[in-house]
Amino acid sequence: MEFESYNMPDELYYEPNHYWVRQEGDLLVMGMDDFARKLAGQIVFVQLPDEGKAIKLGKKFASVESGKWLGKVYAPVNGEIAGVNEELETNPGLINQDCYGAGWMYKIKPDDMGEVQNLLHGTEAVQKWLTEEIAKFAKSS
Amino acid sequence: MEAKYDFERKYREQILRCSRCGFCQAVCPVYGATLRPGLNARGKMLLLKEVMDGRIDLSNDLIETLFQCTTCASCTHNCPSGVEVPEIIKVARKDMVDIGSCHPAFTGMNEVLQKHDNIYAEDEAGDFGRQKKAQAKYVFFSGCVGLYRETEATEAALDVLDKLEVDYTLIEEACCSGVLEDVGFPLNSALVETNIERILATGAEAVITGCPYCARTLNGKTQYAPLRARGVIVMHIAQFLKDFDLGLRTDKKVTYHDPCDLGRHCGIYEEPRETIRKLAPNFVELPHHHADALCCGAGGGVRGAYAKNSIDMARRRLKEVEESGAEVVLTECNSCVHNLSNAKLRKQKITICTTTQFIHDLMEEAE
Amino acid sequence: MIDERIKQELIRIVGQQNFTDNLIDMVSYSYDASEHRARPSCAVWVETTAQVSEVMKLANREKIPVTPRGAGTGLSGLSVPAHAGIVMDLTRMNRILELRIEDRLAVVQPGLVYADLEKALAPHGFFFPPDPSSGKVCTMGGTVGTNAGGVKGAKYGTTRDYVLGLEVVLADGRIMRTGGKTIKNVSGYDLTRLFVASEGTLGVVTEIALKINPKPTVTTTAMATFNDLEDAGRAVAEVMRSGILPSVLEILGRETILAINQNTDLNLPEVEALLLAETDGYTREETEFQMGKVVDVFRRNHPGMVKLAASAQEAAQLWKARKSAYAVLARIKSHFVLEDVTVPIGRVPALLKGIQAIAKKYSIQIATFGHAGDGNLHPQILYDGYDPEQVKSMEAASDELFKLSIELEGTLTGEHGIGLSKAAYMTLEHDAVSLEMMRTIKRAFDPNNILNPGKMALDAA
Repeated sequence: MEFESYNMPDELYYEPNHYWVRQEGDLLVMGMDDFARKLAGQIVFVQLPDEGKAIKLGKKFASVESGKWLGKVYAPVNGEIAGVNEELETNPGLINQDCYGAGWMYKIKPDDMGEVQNLLHGTEAVQKWLTEEIAKFAKSS
Repeated sequence: MEAKYDFERKYREQILRCSRCGFCQAVCPVYGATLRPGLNARGKMLLLKEVMDGRIDLSNDLIETLFQCTTCASCTHNCPSGVEVPEIIKVARKDMVDIGSCHPAFTGMNEVLQKHDNIYAEDEAGDFGRQKKAQAKYVFFSGCVGLYRETEATEAALDVLDKLEVDYTLIEEACCSGVLEDVGFPLNSALVETNIERILATGAEAVITGCPYCARTLNGKTQYAPLRARGVIVMHIAQFLKDFDLGLRTDKKVTYHDPCDLGRHCGIYEEPRETIRKLAPNFVELPHHHADALCCGAGGGVRGAYAKNSIDMARRRLKEVEESGAEVVLTECNSCVHNLSNAKLRKQKITICTTTQFIHDLMEEAE
Repeated sequence: MIDERIKQELIRIVGQQNFTDNLIDMVSYSYDASEHRARPSCAVWVETTAQVSEVMKLANREKIPVTPRGAGTGLSGLSVPAHAGIVMDLTRMNRILELRIEDRLAVVQPGLVYADLEKALAPHGFFFPPDPSSGKVCTMGGTVGTNAGGVKGAKYGTTRDYVLGLEVVLADGRIMRTGGKTIKNVSGYDLTRLFVASEGTLGVVTEIALKINPKPTVTTTAMATFNDLEDAGRAVAEVMRSGILPSVLEILGRETILAINQNTDLNLPEVEALLLAETDGYTREETEFQMGKVVDVFRRNHPGMVKLAASAQEAAQLWKARKSAYAVLARIKSHFVLEDVTVPIGRVPALLKGIQAIAKKYSIQIATFGHAGDGNLHPQILYDGYDPEQVKSMEAASDELFKLSIELEGTLTGEHGIGLSKAAYMTLEHDAVSLEMMRTIKRAFDPNNILNPGKMALDAA
């Protein structure tokens, strides 16, 4: 849905640091959401860990940089990296162009697909969260 | 005709000396990565010449080239006429700022340093689990990149100093703010005074830093004179470590990337190599080394303002690492490590780190 | 300013990111390494022959001048867009397409930097003999466009001796090939030779097939000083008669030597002329035998001092003087003009003396150095470009310099090309019939006069 000029597709699950997750067979696809993308500006570097790297729920497993900002990417679930979007190596700007499509970042093999349900999901929940986030960032800027 | 701008008052004669030979195209990293003569050193001099002749004026149109120079001085080093392009650019940037034509990244940086004590506007530096001492023989000054981006390298440096039982302390650092003068702004006096105060308070006889840029700033800028007047020496950790007998060894094929700020700008080429050769006898030079070293692309504010080109420049340097056959490239600058690491492709199996980090890793292996 | 419609068409051909009309690019493209300046309307970066062809079709249809450009290191204004229009920057077409050692063949794109060609050939023990001093930056398209020389010209000749074939895009966009990939080829008119040194006025070169040579592995270097120009000149001529060809025979004149001494710590003997010679081959015996003949010639012509380099370091020291000439001279006055008048080798002493006389007559500083071995001297006129009196003197001196060269059966330019700098003097050197034929050829290739117009005096009726 469109909310306060941010595009936040309803069917996706959202990790509180502004990454989206969706199911694709028995894997999860992960990327940056529109809110973070707009805040960050032009993405210049995306860290792409090796396939097979184990990730732990809530722990940082990669970083993303724009000209002025270094963002940490936290694992939305327990699992391992099953794939990365190699295009981002030479064209990190894909995230700015199409953060939900061509700009996807990681593919994850979750230990337990059920953990996805713990993420933010659904129009009401996402809107409430986003309202808080907008206020939070407005104060500090 | 009366000179309109500072750059002309200070450097008219040099700008006129540029004979347009174009030899700088062979070494300018920005030109090498973009093949755009407007961004080359010669291009910049031609523009400034036209400003001096009243053909064009300083304006926003010139931002893209005047603020896209890593100040690596490769051009100066190779210029038959000895034109000091980076020095001229720095003053021209000041003139641009004065007329309100500055790259937003740098106006932003100046503003950030008014409100924060680091260029990233971060609120908290890691404290690396070290207690700050009231008094110590040395102060270890990390610099912003070391505190907020290449924290592993800083952690490693501190571990090495600990293992060597060096009497040092960290301080609550503020950005040395040297970068401001390179992009047209004055040094931030509040931050400078903070640093001087905190360093002097420890009674340290010397400052060891991991950042060649901070080293240059603390050693060279007049605003830091009070520090030097009290006899405090500022050195880069490469100079500090060279006399230690670390007793470590590796057979890995290792090469060294001369950071512009340590090499061409400070003339320090051999100390890092002395240390490295003791550790890694299987040492090879890169195709361009010592004063001919290829800039990693991060300096002069370019990584902040023109990140894509900056990373492309780093990619060119990594190609040279591949050519040399080295598996490890060591350097003495966190900014270089950062840019080269970002530029490294997944298929390139190269380790990029500071010499101190490498020493730390060898120490860990030995245990 | 380029018409919006044309701009959009160019963007359609090369892509948005390969078109520019930004001020910083326009100013940059106004210059090469000469003293000329003219601003283009826009510039494009081309990456394929097809794109070059499309741009030319458009330009020809709309009658817009196109100035092809490589590294922009030309010394005569060849890549200065004298009639505005489009600058076509070919530096992104910079690959080596084929390298076939046993065929002695390298096929390259025009934007390839000379030094990169050298680097690719070195591991095979091969080289491309013409070695322009700007080799670190200059590009092969310009090397072909000016028939570039270098210090090895006396023994190895110039670029035209090594171009086997070309791919060229004509002014109307048609693509053609000349020559081929064989060492010998007399099939049809030698159009390859027509394009070499045509300074981008007959077509845009998009591919170059070059002959390459195995590289001699041993060199011997020597230097001699002379207190009399005639002696130096005679020595040069006699070396040519000695039965061997040195690979290098360079001269430095007195003014150049003084300037070098003032600006470096080389401490050269302050003589009338200094000769630097090199012989090359595959064994030391051979190169020393050849150099023996050269040194005999030196000794017979009243040298002040003759020094034979005993090691690579000593050779490098001897070379330093010659290599520092350009840089030192560039710093002396605010402006300079570098000429490249060339005379038959026997006339070198007369040319040297004549240059000294001209400098005296106009009270202007002229420092000379150059390739004595093929009669190609570089008198460098140094002057304060902001002093109108000196500018006048420079122009008068240049004028007499060209006249002197022609009088001595020489030419206006040995390797830098005519471009803008010497266009006005073409009638001095070429008879009316020859000039008319040149213009006829130009009209045949470029009826709308859009390719690098205003150069080589081709425009005059």
